[in-house]
Amino acid sequence: MLILARKTGEAIVINDNIKITIIEMKGGQVKLGIEAPLDVTIHREEVLNRIIEENKRATSETIGNLPDLDAFLKRKKAK
Amino acid sequence: MTETSTPPSQTTKLMTARFGEITIDPDKIITMTTPVPGFPESHQFIMRPHDKESPFIWLQSMDDPELAFIMISPTHLIPAYRPELPPAVMEELQIEEPQQVELMVILTIPDGRLEDMTANLLGPVALNPGKRLAKQVVLDPKIYDSRWQVLIEEDE
Repeated sequence: MLILARKTGEAIVINDNIKITIIEMKGGQVKLGIEAPLDVTIHREEVLNRIIEENKRATSETIGNLPDLDAFLKRKKAK
Repeated sequence: MTETSTPPSQTTKLMTARFGEITIDPDKIITMTTPVPGFPESHQFIMRPHDKESPFIWLQSMDDPELAFIMISPTHLIPAYRPELPPAVMEELQIEEPQQVELMVILTIPDGRLEDMTANLLGPVALNPGKRLAKQVVLDPKIYDSRWQVLIEEDE
């Protein structure tokens, strides 16, 4: 892992087209400003991890033949 | 052209863990523009209704026989769910008109218990049906839940 020290107002540039600026540091939290092309996807890591976790649950736990699945939806609608 | 002169559409066999060997129409293969998070090896999927006329749709990986998600259009569960998709997603899916995009939500059914079913509203699958492109979109966790309870939530 590359580790760089930066001060407030300083930035790093990745691939000439992504710029990450240190906006503010306060109380153990860093505010980052990110400038990147539209096709660059940026996520908070924990949000992406939540999706990964739920995808894994969805595939491992959705078991059985689920014969009552369609009846279930009617039950839901009847509520 | 008469019906009899139309050649039968080319089909392929696919081995799956859940459905055994299934016949698929290559024209119906869906390509993920970005892999589904957690499953980087799967690029192509096939959509398969749970039953005739069923709104539940299986998303079966063609690259991993074990990998299948069950999805439903959110209109069946939560009609008010109309998240705005980031422009980058629309571009990635080659969507020209917003109404072209189709949304599905992935369901989790713990141990097959239907009453505990949850829908992943945080990460819907966005589709461009015309181009057969799809992508799981990551939305704002402050607004959308990854484990939205299907049964206890009342319709508005």
